[in-house]
Amino acid sequence: MSAPWITGVGVMGAAGAGLDGVADDLAAARIRATGVDRSAGLHRPAGALTAVLASHLPTAEWIPPLVARRMGPGSRLAVVAARTATADAGLGAPELHRAAVVLATIYGAAAVTEKLLRQILLESPEAASPALFTESVANAPAAQVALQMGARGPNVTVVQRQAGALLALGRAAALVRGGRADVVLAGAVDEVSPLLHAVLDRFGALTTSGPDGGEAPRPFDRRRDGCLAGEGAAVLVVESEWHAQRRGARPLAILAGAGGSFDPSSPRSGWARDPRPLAEDLAAFLGRHGAPPEAAVTGGCGARGGDRLEGLVLAHALDPLPPLLAPKAVLGDHGSAQLATAMVTLAGGHVAPAPGFGEADPEIGVAPFSGGDLAPARRTVVTAFAPGGAASWALLDRP
Amino acid sequence: MSPAPRVVVTGLGAVSPFGWTVADLRAGLRRGDTVIRTPRRLDTAGHRTRLAAEVPPPPADLLASVGGWRRMAWADRFAVAAAAEAVAAAGLATPVGRAGLYFGGSTAGMAECEQLVGRLLGAFPGRPRIALAASQQINAPGDAAARHLGLRGPVETISSACSSGTLAIGAALEAIRDGEVDLAVAGGSDALCQLTYAGFNSLRSVAAGRCLPFRAHREGLSLGEGAGVLVLESADRAAARSARPLAGLAGAGASCDAHHMTAPHPEGAGAVAAIRAALADAGLHPDAIAFLNAHGTATTHNDDAESRALAKVFGDRTPRLPVTSVKGAVGHLLGSAGALEAVATVLALLDREVQPTAGDDPADPTLGVDLVTGSPRPLAAEAAGISLSLAFGGANAAIVLVAVPEGGRP
Repeated sequence: MSAPWITGVGVMGAAGAGLDGVADDLAAARIRATGVDRSAGLHRPAGALTAVLASHLPTAEWIPPLVARRMGPGSRLAVVAARTATADAGLGAPELHRAAVVLATIYGAAAVTEKLLRQILLESPEAASPALFTESVANAPAAQVALQMGARGPNVTVVQRQAGALLALGRAAALVRGGRADVVLAGAVDEVSPLLHAVLDRFGALTTSGPDGGEAPRPFDRRRDGCLAGEGAAVLVVESEWHAQRRGARPLAILAGAGGSFDPSSPRSGWARDPRPLAEDLAAFLGRHGAPPEAAVTGGCGARGGDRLEGLVLAHALDPLPPLLAPKAVLGDHGSAQLATAMVTLAGGHVAPAPGFGEADPEIGVAPFSGGDLAPARRTVVTAFAPGGAASWALLDRP
Repeated sequence: MSPAPRVVVTGLGAVSPFGWTVADLRAGLRRGDTVIRTPRRLDTAGHRTRLAAEVPPPPADLLASVGGWRRMAWADRFAVAAAAEAVAAAGLATPVGRAGLYFGGSTAGMAECEQLVGRLLGAFPGRPRIALAASQQINAPGDAAARHLGLRGPVETISSACSSGTLAIGAALEAIRDGEVDLAVAGGSDALCQLTYAGFNSLRSVAAGRCLPFRAHREGLSLGEGAGVLVLESADRAAARSARPLAGLAGAGASCDAHHMTAPHPEGAGAVAAIRAALADAGLHPDAIAFLNAHGTATTHNDDAESRALAKVFGDRTPRLPVTSVKGAVGHLLGSAGALEAVATVLALLDREVQPTAGDDPADPTLGVDLVTGSPRPLAAEAAGISLSLAFGGANAAIVLVAVPEGGRP
């Protein structure tokens, strides 16, 4: 069976709707970080201040306000991404009727869950709002996408920390391969709430430094001190080749493969020390799929242990190393950052150096793309390494 | 005859309100008991209702044998215990090595996270212990199980509310069929917490009294907790290592209502699509199905819609198709409901009897279902059963499990 095609892409992030905003931000190294509400006093006094936020942006162009008011921030981001992706793919209602939806999320419906917990814990269990409860489930965005698009195929939400977005692509490919769906709206959606931001800050997961007094995560840098939290949604239309050809659709990319592995030596909130087991698995995956990748979209986000593991795994598994993009340096840590950037690399274009990057961590020995014009990649590998042990990867080919 | 399923179940594990083993679940379901009562760990003060099905304290040997037990959230403990039981029952050594793990869950360690958030917000006294935040990750139970088993392969947690466990089993089936793995640990784990208890109460979905699936005077669900785990492998792999197949996993299907965030489609259209997809995947006609382990939450809307869906799929035979729901006994396990119900479905095939639905009252006659009550209902040796899950957001999932004849392949 031939590999599924990607026939549309939709993004809703800090730069607004569309892939161009992502490409422009990567070309200009523009970190759209804004201040997070710290008024509840839950953050560390000298803790993180900013995140790359998107859920305040207007969505009325895609979702009627009367409908949007019943959605949490993640659902709104996901529905805009899904609407723009299906428009990009030229899909109409009849084709969407059988479509499946597979979305990944790292922390689920953080903002809605925070409101609900405040009601229950600070007021009374009986103060819990049924409307908030409904939107607090991790699958609310996937359900809202199905509801708004009339997608009656399998509806799946994957939660595997930072590895989820690529596992969602793999799940989509499996649905197509198994004949369970001809069209899958697959992607990732993440939102940040003040409480989530404060908890990540107290956990020591967020960067508190960067050039010019700002916060920049500086993946793979010797002085990296954490990630920059981020919001956004990306949806790729994953479609069987025969279905796409029958309706005369062109592929933007070919999803040549997706897979994952797990290192049980990982601590529950950190990363394994020894890169060799996951490097073996990644190398075996790449070996099964033939041609080597010409670009790598890493999940490097500024986490000390995560970037170390990922850099060492890539250095072991990829020889020679293609340009390593680290989009989370600019876009923040959310699943859609990697999916959107992977689509950008297939077209090539200018990519600026990672902001604030100074010196490669000698313990890792790899550095992100130093900036310049990136040739269109015939094949891009995307990798993600989650705290807790999971890893995932995917291959996207330029048609 | 349909072709022999290429994927078989070779191990079962269960942590349920009946206890920490499959044997506890098996005996409890057979008796038709209910363990929905006043919980001890979950504080129901201030809630509209007072009942839930809580997993009893763990046996002492578990505490001693599982590393890091004290730091684990309850949902992680359920997952680890059930996964360890399933793998041991399958005759597999640990570390398991090359295998996939596909797990369902909805809130995981939210109960522990509530302690953190409550302290952060000043609702509870005490210093916030930030390490509790690690508990809340929905993937934490699956990860904990994978680490405990020493598993190396894809690990994927699915969180599609009450269909999560069934979808995870379907994902494992797909992975084995695709040749991505030839061994998989599939299931789910969830634990009771304030958020879901208050949330379902806010929807007025929780029964103040007994949970009575498919009965005329049903008034809602009861919440439960626990984990169910299946070891799945290719039939060839099981045969090569002389493992006894407990059942065949013949097919899986899923759909979405795309109708409403919480209410099921009134005619059960999505449930019909999921069951038909699972049957088609298994290559079976509806007449080949001997019983159904229903979603059966005991809410008015669910049991109505589910019964209508059954009538559409099974037609004239519906009034004679044995239907059971474990939810009157162990409550609704949410993200792990489908996992525990898959274990119950395999047990029914192994024991050649459909477990009764807790409560002696007869079924609501307007629903037109043949509800198994009182005592187990005998099953033929070569039976096939369906386990059905329906979820928030209209996500529906069904799996088809088939009995294994004595000494043979399914």
